[in-house]
Amino acid sequence: MAQSARTRWLPWIVLGAVVVGVLVFTAWPRGVDESTAARTHRIASELRCVDCESLSVADSATSTAAATRADIATRIRHGESDAEIRQVYVDRYGESVLLKPSSSGLGVLVWALPIAALVIGAGGIALALRRWSRQPRLVASEADEELVATERTRR
Amino acid sequence: MRAGLGILGIALGVGASAVGVFLLALGLKRRNVELIRAGRRCVFVVLAAALLSVFAMEWALISHDFSIKYVADNNARGTPLLFTITGLWAALEGSILLWVLILAGYITVMARRFRSRLEDPMVAWALLVALSVALFFFVFMAAAANPFKLVDGTIPLDGRGPNPLLQNHPLMAFHPPMLYLGYVGFTVPFAFAMAALITGRFGEGWLADTRRTTLVAWGFLTVGIILGAWWSYEVLGWGGYWGWDPVENASLLPWLTGTAFIHSVIVQERRGMLRVWNLSLVLATFCLTILGTFLTRSGVVNSVHAFTQSSIGPWLLTFLGVCVVTCLALIAWRADKLHAPGRIDSPVSRESAFLANNLLFTGLAFVVLLGTVFPLVAEAVRGNQLSVGEPYFARMTTPIGLALLFLMAVAPALPWRAAGGEVLRRRLLIPAYAGAAVMLLTLLFLTSTLATVLAFGLATFAVVAIFRETALAVRSRRSGDHAGWVRSTIGTVRGNPRRYGGFIVHLGVICIAVALAASGSFGAKREVRLHRGESATVSGYTVTFTGTHTSKTAQKTSVSADLKLARGGDVLGTYAPAVSTFPNSDSAIGTPSVRTGILEDVYLTVVSSPNDKGRVTISIAINSMTLWVWIGGALMAVGTIVALGPTVRRRIRVRAGDVARPAAEPVREDLPPLGEEVGV
Amino acid sequence: MKHPFRWIALAVGAGVCVLAVVLALTVSSDPHQDSNTSRLVGKTAPAFSVQSLDGKPITSGSFAGKTVLVNFWNSWCIPCRQEHDALSSWYAEHRNDPSVALVGIVREDTKQAVRSYVKDEKVTWPVGFDPGAKAALDFGTRGQPETYAIGPDGLVVASKFGPVTPQVLDQMVAFAQGTS
Repeated sequence: MAQSARTRWLPWIVLGAVVVGVLVFTAWPRGVDESTAARTHRIASELRCVDCESLSVADSATSTAAATRADIATRIRHGESDAEIRQVYVDRYGESVLLKPSSSGLGVLVWALPIAALVIGAGGIALALRRWSRQPRLVASEADEELVATERTRR
Repeated sequence: MRAGLGILGIALGVGASAVGVFLLALGLKRRNVELIRAGRRCVFVVLAAALLSVFAMEWALISHDFSIKYVADNNARGTPLLFTITGLWAALEGSILLWVLILAGYITVMARRFRSRLEDPMVAWALLVALSVALFFFVFMAAAANPFKLVDGTIPLDGRGPNPLLQNHPLMAFHPPMLYLGYVGFTVPFAFAMAALITGRFGEGWLADTRRTTLVAWGFLTVGIILGAWWSYEVLGWGGYWGWDPVENASLLPWLTGTAFIHSVIVQERRGMLRVWNLSLVLATFCLTILGTFLTRSGVVNSVHAFTQSSIGPWLLTFLGVCVVTCLALIAWRADKLHAPGRIDSPVSRESAFLANNLLFTGLAFVVLLGTVFPLVAEAVRGNQLSVGEPYFARMTTPIGLALLFLMAVAPALPWRAAGGEVLRRRLLIPAYAGAAVMLLTLLFLTSTLATVLAFGLATFAVVAIFRETALAVRSRRSGDHAGWVRSTIGTVRGNPRRYGGFIVHLGVICIAVALAASGSFGAKREVRLHRGESATVSGYTVTFTGTHTSKTAQKTSVSADLKLARGGDVLGTYAPAVSTFPNSDSAIGTPSVRTGILEDVYLTVVSSPNDKGRVTISIAINSMTLWVWIGGALMAVGTIVALGPTVRRRIRVRAGDVARPAAEPVREDLPPLGEEVGV
Repeated sequence: MKHPFRWIALAVGAGVCVLAVVLALTVSSDPHQDSNTSRLVGKTAPAFSVQSLDGKPITSGSFAGKTVLVNFWNSWCIPCRQEHDALSSWYAEHRNDPSVALVGIVREDTKQAVRSYVKDEKVTWPVGFDPGAKAALDFGTRGQPETYAIGPDGLVVASKFGPVTPQVLDQMVAFAQGTS
């Protein structure tokens, strides 16, 4: 390849710039206000419907769930914060009404443990790779190479 | 009579599996092949016993023999024939019966396939382990979950009938058996992994012996899960197909570890590495199927599917404990022998990609397991109740899923051992550009949700990478063989069915990922109250309520609302979501009516049936790309079938018998007989 | 660290044992235990305004100074039918007692079904429809039947999830009046 390093990498740099640009644009916090309907839906989807199994208030069709949605919308219009609205329901039904355990108290474990496990796992793999890279590479004997060659033709 | 026949079957099953286990153990101890052969014959008796019990139960169900408690509870004279037959798996006891039948079937296939290798202790041990599992389930049925228990007192004139949700859709006939075929199938690789640990031969022999069964089980489990999602979508009426319900999670857990195994096994086959890891994954997969059964069948978790039978909890928990302790003890005992030779040369190689894949899949499994059992742990430890639901799982699994999509795009292009930068640049540039273009277009025209933008982009990246790899292989074969495109494609696929079958499965997964991302970002839902003749418009669809009609059968009474659906000026048809009441249930069951489209579904449900003024409340939901979940599932099934096919080589230069040892694995104690190694 | 697998296996084993003990503990317990008591007990009862069968309002204000039993129910729930006799007999006995009152609030049902149930089963105490499920929500109900006893001072003194018996009703009233 007679290409210079710069021309070889150029397409990748352009690509990287596009991807980073898109990501930054999507992740950038915008000042656009969330509509009341969207906010209601978001909060409702994090509350358990108390008189059905395994459904959120947002997904349930019971009249209590409908009343809850209406109540959340009213509270939003009265200017209550998300946390305040959640607290109203926690006070009424207990902690178990939250489908997403709060990140305080015991609930923090359910968030932290998987992340810790993934980090430890990734660290372990990285460590093993490092150890392997320090070990001398096994050199294939001629017999090995021959076996590989014949095996290749088999496959 | 029928009960007697069934109990006879169960007793025969207990006896035959116990005798089989005993004979195999004795034969292994005395190294007596005759005893092992006799033990193997017991397998067929076990199958006959299971068939007899299932036959007795079906007979009892079809003839409405309400003297049997199970039949009285899960069948009624008005139950249609289809749901009478599916009554076998409508409740705990019957589903254990189905479990036992499928297990006996798998063991029989195993006993037949390895009939010529009985002197191999590995095979005898595997049979012994599998028969022990069967023995547990027969004893469990006889002692704690007897499906042939008679009713107390007088025989009722009519039974209660199955749970309304379980007699509302024909998918009930397919979803549970498929799921069980998957669940139970993992017993076979489990048995062989245990045998490998016991005999101390952890080479690649047991992998080759179980590769096909593992794939079959995995395929069935995949189809079972997808059908379950479909059933949920068509029956439950909340508009979704996956709710992170404990029972759904229980079916997903072994699927995740099983998927990790299917990938990491390739590393062991090629490089002889990751032996303990693969053993652990197989053992974990089996233990997770038992854990799932325990969680969902013992009533410890609340769920739409849970049968709430707490008397069986201790049995399953004990069995789970025995399995886990045995597995761990065996691994600890064999620890000195398990260290595999070999190393991974570079972080940028196919092996490393598989390692990352395994990390992510086990991470996913851990998230799902933790989310499912955490409420139980929190309650036992602190006495306070917590819920872990959809928002948690969505938040935790989305990044892992996106990382897996990325790997899916990159990994097939990575060479084994070590990759040069040049190779990667060449192989991945076009797919990466396609992915970036789709990301940009999604952002410009569709949505600015980060996860969706990333999912669409990565999905494109992966699809283009797959097609590029395949197209290159087809092109080279085409120029070599001077054949047409079609023939070359078929030849390429048949030349390496595992690779291309895997690609098809990947395409299916990508379809599902795109559908999930779309359903999270697009769509609308509205509840409207309509008088006859009124209409409502949601996202350009106009729904007009034209009237109701009532149908009444012995099974149920349904009131359906006729809704004329139109878009713009085009009438798309009349849809009739219904609310049904069943004589055996106090609450009404809604049945949605769905107009399926390529890009969006219109999902109509009756929220409340007509009131005295004839007004109905209906819910109109526009769901994005749901069809692609089912298409993805179908592709995954097709891919699995392709991957199961035999390898058809282009030219045979060297006879297969001349070489048997891949160079990368210097120690290989147990070679299977020829022919099995390649195709099994 | 000669055989790392041995240690990993033992560590995993220890973890699994802990999980197994936890699961064994939960096998015996009721999965939704805390849903058996209302969090309202001891707090001021929410004000409610429901609509009687003939369209007149029934409000919590009209019961001021009385012990009120608020019963959430509907026509299709089987436990509600089971407790019907208990409520009937209790009401027959206390109908003329000015210090106590009973009101049924309909939860998750149609007017039609409730009207025919009231007629067929001879429900004589005041029954109210709950527009927008406001009262059901404010009381934090999770299902039906649920019964709340409100003391003369307006505090919720007792609650019962599930069907009541005459004894339970008497107890609830005694409790409400004892604390006043």
